[in-house]
Amino acid sequence: MKKILIYLLTFSLFTLTGCDKYLDTVPDNRTDINTPGKISELLVHAYPTANYSAFCELMSDNTSDNYVGSAPSQIYGKPYLWEDVLQLDQDSPQLYWSACYASIAAANQALESIKLLGGGKELNPQKGEALVARAYCHFMLVNLFSKFYDAASAATDAGIPYVTEVEKVVIKKYDRKTVAFVYDMIEKDLLEGLPLLSDQSYKVAAYHFNINAANAFASRFYLYKKNYDKVIEYATKVAGSGGFAQNMRNWNSDYSMKSFTEISFVYSQITEKSNLLLCETGSFWGRYWAGQKYGLNSNLGRTLYFGANPSGGALAYSLFGSERGVYLPKYNEYFVRVTANANIGNGYNMIPLFQTEEVLFNRAEAYVYKGDAAGALGDLNTFLSLRIKSYSPALHNLTITKNNAFYSTGNSGGALLQTILDYRRREFMHEGMRWFDILRYKIPVTHNTLASDGKSSTITLAADDKRKVLQIPQEVSLSGLTQNPR
Amino acid sequence: MIIGTWHFLHFTLTINKIHQPQRFKIHTNIIMKKNITKLWFRGFSGLVVCLALLTNLTNLLAYSSAPLADVTITGTVSEKDENGKISPVPGVAVREKGTKNGVAANGNGQYSIKVKNGATLVFSAIGFLPQEIKITNQSIIDVVLETDSKSLDEVVVTGYQKIDRANFTGAAVKLKTDDIKIPGTIDVGRMLEGRAAGVSVQNVSGTFGTAPKIRIRGATSISGENKPLWVIDGVVLEDVVNISNDDLSSGNANTLLGSAVAGLNSDDIESFQILKDASATALYGARAMNGVVVITTKKGRIQAPTVSYTANMAFTLRPSYDDYNIMNSNEQMGVYAELERKGWLTYSDVSRRANTGVYGKMYDLVSTYDPNTKQFGLSNTPEVRSNFLQRYAQVNTDWFKLLFKNSLTQEHSLSITAGTDAAQYYFSTSIYDDNGWTIADNVRRYTATMRANYKLSDKLSLGFTTVGSIREQRTPGSQDRVNNAYQGRYDRDFDLNPFSYALNTSRALTAYDENGNLEYFKRDFAPFNIIKESETNFLNLGQLDLKFQVEGQYKFNKHLTYDVVGTIRQVQSTRENNTYENSNQANAYRAADNATVKQANKFLYRDPDNPEAEPVVVLPYGGIYKRNEDKLVNYYGRHQLNWNNTFKQDHSVNVLLGQEVKFANRQESNSTGYGYQFDKGGIPFTDYRIIKQGLESNFNYFSLQNTRDRFVAFFSNASYAYRGKYIFNGTARVDGSNQLGKATSARYLPTWNVSGSWNVKEEPFLKDNDLISRLSFRGTYGLTASIGKAKNSTAIFTNAVTNRPYLGEKESVIDISNLENSELTWEKQYETNVGFDLGLFNNRVSIVVDAYQRKGFDLIGLIKTSGIGGEFFKNANYADMKSQGIDIGLSATVVNYKDLTWKTSFNYGFNKNEITTLKSLPLIYDLIKPEGGAQQGYAVRGIFTIDFRGLNEKGIPTFTNELGEKSTIVDVQSQETKYLKYEGPRDPTYFGGWSNTFNYKGWSLNAFVSFQGGNKVKLDPKFDQSYTDLTASPKEFSNRWIVPGDEAITNIPSIIDRRTQASFESGEFPYTAYNLSSARVANGDFARLKNVSLGYTVPIAVVKRLGLKGLSIKASASNLLLLYSDKKLYGQDPEFFGSGGVALPISKQISFSLKASI
Repeated sequence: MKKILIYLLTFSLFTLTGCDKYLDTVPDNRTDINTPGKISELLVHAYPTANYSAFCELMSDNTSDNYVGSAPSQIYGKPYLWEDVLQLDQDSPQLYWSACYASIAAANQALESIKLLGGGKELNPQKGEALVARAYCHFMLVNLFSKFYDAASAATDAGIPYVTEVEKVVIKKYDRKTVAFVYDMIEKDLLEGLPLLSDQSYKVAAYHFNINAANAFASRFYLYKKNYDKVIEYATKVAGSGGFAQNMRNWNSDYSMKSFTEISFVYSQITEKSNLLLCETGSFWGRYWAGQKYGLNSNLGRTLYFGANPSGGALAYSLFGSERGVYLPKYNEYFVRVTANANIGNGYNMIPLFQTEEVLFNRAEAYVYKGDAAGALGDLNTFLSLRIKSYSPALHNLTITKNNAFYSTGNSGGALLQTILDYRRREFMHEGMRWFDILRYKIPVTHNTLASDGKSSTITLAADDKRKVLQIPQEVSLSGLTQNPR
Repeated sequence: MIIGTWHFLHFTLTINKIHQPQRFKIHTNIIMKKNITKLWFRGFSGLVVCLALLTNLTNLLAYSSAPLADVTITGTVSEKDENGKISPVPGVAVREKGTKNGVAANGNGQYSIKVKNGATLVFSAIGFLPQEIKITNQSIIDVVLETDSKSLDEVVVTGYQKIDRANFTGAAVKLKTDDIKIPGTIDVGRMLEGRAAGVSVQNVSGTFGTAPKIRIRGATSISGENKPLWVIDGVVLEDVVNISNDDLSSGNANTLLGSAVAGLNSDDIESFQILKDASATALYGARAMNGVVVITTKKGRIQAPTVSYTANMAFTLRPSYDDYNIMNSNEQMGVYAELERKGWLTYSDVSRRANTGVYGKMYDLVSTYDPNTKQFGLSNTPEVRSNFLQRYAQVNTDWFKLLFKNSLTQEHSLSITAGTDAAQYYFSTSIYDDNGWTIADNVRRYTATMRANYKLSDKLSLGFTTVGSIREQRTPGSQDRVNNAYQGRYDRDFDLNPFSYALNTSRALTAYDENGNLEYFKRDFAPFNIIKESETNFLNLGQLDLKFQVEGQYKFNKHLTYDVVGTIRQVQSTRENNTYENSNQANAYRAADNATVKQANKFLYRDPDNPEAEPVVVLPYGGIYKRNEDKLVNYYGRHQLNWNNTFKQDHSVNVLLGQEVKFANRQESNSTGYGYQFDKGGIPFTDYRIIKQGLESNFNYFSLQNTRDRFVAFFSNASYAYRGKYIFNGTARVDGSNQLGKATSARYLPTWNVSGSWNVKEEPFLKDNDLISRLSFRGTYGLTASIGKAKNSTAIFTNAVTNRPYLGEKESVIDISNLENSELTWEKQYETNVGFDLGLFNNRVSIVVDAYQRKGFDLIGLIKTSGIGGEFFKNANYADMKSQGIDIGLSATVVNYKDLTWKTSFNYGFNKNEITTLKSLPLIYDLIKPEGGAQQGYAVRGIFTIDFRGLNEKGIPTFTNELGEKSTIVDVQSQETKYLKYEGPRDPTYFGGWSNTFNYKGWSLNAFVSFQGGNKVKLDPKFDQSYTDLTASPKEFSNRWIVPGDEAITNIPSIIDRRTQASFESGEFPYTAYNLSSARVANGDFARLKNVSLGYTVPIAVVKRLGLKGLSIKASASNLLLLYSDKKLYGQDPEFFGSGGVALPISKQISFSLKASI
């Protein structure tokens, strides 16, 4: 009997030791990040899957209250009034906040996995992408949710948590530090990541930080930081030997031949070379950018697109709409139904995060600050060559004299900056980019509001208004942070 | 000689003069025959007084007599088994009647006791009938005890152990199949309804294969499944698919696999043991938080081959409009006329609609020009149109009659048992055949069981079981429902559920035209007729379930035994959605009559490479064949050592040590075949663009999901009993599971439990009390647990495909679905249970009362974080809850007079729970769903409603919205939930049943009522901001708002006109909100006459003449009527969710059964 007992005991001990291995079985179809290919796939979502265009555009001076009625919903209404949107849904600032941090988590996970896989040279492209993407997400967060970068106060303005590690507990404590700290970290990640990138490592390069896109990002970063030499350096890399023109949208001879639907389809496709970096975002902005209560007013639209511009030519943008508002065909919503038969689903907009045109403007602006008017004019004329109907260099090319005359000023630098800002505004209409110019140049914004009896009144966002800094979610208090002052 | 009678209790004291004249003996004998009813009414207070008096009196009298000479008696106690073999019984209590003098027999059944001459010796042991022997100068008394078959029921089977009821310290209820079986009720889970205190059963769907919502002592988890564990012959029965409790009522096709026990033939089941508290379930450790139902199946016996045959024929009754408040066709056409006046059923409105009825048909005819007759189908004059509509106003279609049948279900079961001393066999087979309550469903199930037990030697015995079942089922074709959070409702496309159809389709619609041909109306732009559709669009389910089980026992000696059990089980089930080419669903893919339809039809293909092109048909031929497969592969093994011994006759010790291991792989796959030509030899004709369309819309045409469950456990249990009086029990167990993820930190969980009981009956002052036949107090405290739904002890990465519109731009992506949670652990609960068992008059009356308190902690709840880690909402162990309750079980043989007996049993359970911590921030929509929502400070599932504030001047309902203002707009996506109204819990707080059985000679009459309540239910969503000419309006509509001023007298909203509806803002859905408002809530209380049956057992003499061993027949009626329910429900079943899909309510049945054995 004792023998049998001993057998039983050994059997039990054996199973005891085998059991940890037995329990290592993964419970479901989850993946292990164990190959370079899987790290690349992880990085596909290192780009925020939320859209900032809606709230940025609605807060900007591109929009007006177009008719009596109520806004489609809080999300597409409150930003116009510069009120905090508490709802967490597509196109809300909160969702953008969380999407950026979700992308940062993907980047951090990729970096951790790279380390686990030995961190060899063959993983450099992935490492580069993770670093640059992480920098980009923090960059967008700090610009929207902290006081805009100002070298004078950046060292004391509250930043946003710069996350470099994957979170492993339910609630982790974080520190906002300062805007200067966040900018330093962004620069560090960007500069470390940029040289590691390789366009060959991407399956669909336009949806990843390819080298051009990363240089475009650097040009924007240094523009915001007012380091103009660097802006020129990185922008020039994007221009390459062939110049910007080869990679720009062609409104005056290509888009102008296309229908509304065709433009909206092609605008955010990878075949459009202007799109240096595209991003997939869950968004219904593709339904609400046009013809709504708050949107581009028909009068303002007419002034911007049909009114006079310094070149003297007519702009070739295809503008659509009615008295209730006008718009450019930029969005083609990709609607994914929840099941094959369902009527409900989620909307997606592919949005360009970086376009060649922006880099061109960045460099032109830097040239102006560097006192290189010729350089600035050169870039602007490249731009005009693709935007002016029946473009003729002799007729439409911009000169200092022509530009100063347009503004009736002798301050040629100021006039050039104004020209750049105005063309930027037209070019990136609906895309939310105007908001960042408003932040950079501390432009005050005035919005009209229509009461139900049709009476119009105005509200103003002052140059240094607290409301220019978006509110961060209330739940940050769990992580030991304080919200922005109101 | 009668010496006394107490006024409140009639009993006699008889004094017998026996051998020694100076000694007398008293028998207390309560006369119950005549006065039992009086006794009943006098109740407990009298009983207690009586008890005290009796005890004192007997003691007084016993001790008042002078002592006699002592004699020593020795002997052996033995038993006789089925084969007549005599073997000694150890541990039998031998005592001198009426004294404290007693000993226990040793291991060989021998005893020795010193008693007074002339005394009476009482031999007693659990499982045997007590025997009394008077001493008349003998010195050796050998006794052979007879087994007490009734007393054998007093064994608690936990699946790991068999414990004498007297030594059991936990809360458990035993039910015998014969007592609870309702003919026609196939699912054994449903048989538990109202049968055991603390067990609530809600028939959220009555379709075969779906599981009722069973809860033992209420919910223990906020986000988890709350399902009890099913254990069959000691082995946990794994679910084929995991369906959450809220999803049980979804009506989705996978709910057909929801019942773990659907393949079980109830005739194979001997008994159910429901383990309720921590002590009872302790050996199940970290899986037992929700209680355990242990099923013991039948075994072969030592006897000549006996064949038993059981047949049930049940007639299922068709529902009737009398029970529901649906408008008849005339009233309905009146509503349509109002709709037309309000701009709804106009030509321009109807002609664009995807779904239309009589108006649609009329306008189609008006606009159809026949070139041959040179006439329009219908001339467009008011008279002609009115004439056309007249026919439909008079049809008064009875959809229940068309879609339901008074159907027959049959169940035949045959079993054979036979056995010798060394080998016993049990074989059974059964067939269940339901030819369908509706025209769209039917079921057939076959089962077979073979069980053999061998006794190879005195030490070694083996058992082998093979159980198999085959199921073939047909239901209406069904798509899964979609949660439409935007509007606050569920959507289901192509719903063919006959019950929903009958209740929601206008009675002015017809199934047949004047010539008796099928008449079609329009659904999804294609012709639709429900009868035709039921024939051409249906779901076939096939399931094969096979299990092998091996058991072995080795007895080292009489103290030490070793048990081993192993199981292999496989379940394969296939669901095939067959959508024929000429079905409405397939035709919907082809509806492209004109440009309007082409633009509106979502099934047409829009080519992203050619954005200006018109949408095109991509299912030109054939139908759709969709196949889902669910597979389960399950292995289980356990071995355990059991040691027991009794020391110095007073101290018995039992120790158990064991290990178990489980393996379960589940696979779920589906594939969709487009263009399958069912009626052309099954040749597929697939347009590649339909695949492209799917891929571009991010739908894959096939999928495969694997889940793997690995589980190990080590357990030990020790119990100690002192003279059977004081029992202490302790259990410790460690469970290990892979379900929480790979990290070892969360993998193992120890659970423990301590319990004790005091058998007061064994105390000298009660020992000889004939009134109180049993009294024991029990107490338990322990930790139980279960695995929550979070599985991220390491980060979870899942593969997906990006949501990008062009195939060339799509990429494979790995998402972080959940970040690592290094703090993840199991859901846990501390439970305290106290209770007592009281038996009176030789257990003729038995009362079991348990009270419990549970404190759940580390429960998985959804919390919103700062989002900085990258996951805004996390499922984490951040929730707590508490619950308390009481279970009362009472059974009594009220009348026991010659041939007449009346047995009654009543049980009542009360359970209240409250979420004490839940850091989630639910949206309004999460809380107002019909299934209820979870919020801190309320029940686990609370019914919340939008506070209805009356109708406005246009007859549109208004509410207190998320801003606290009175408004017609409520943003159901808002997180501001403080203005919602809490109505009450969704789950019943009290539930139980009352059963009465009268037996007279061979006749037996049983009536059984089940009841539950204390909860709230939502009324069916009947209101909408626009209705079509298909809508069936409830009769409440007659009281609707019609003219301004009506808002003062009615709460039934108006039919709004088209212009008002057009002026609604985006997000304004007052009618959807009305469905979810406080105006549409009713009490969930109901009492149901669950079953009435009359049976007759043919007398044995007659049976023998027929050459049989037994014969009985029975007629019964089940679910006959609701004795009580809230009037506001208007016929809506308070248990049933009318969710469509495959869900049907439980039906009324009349059945006849026959039982014969040879």
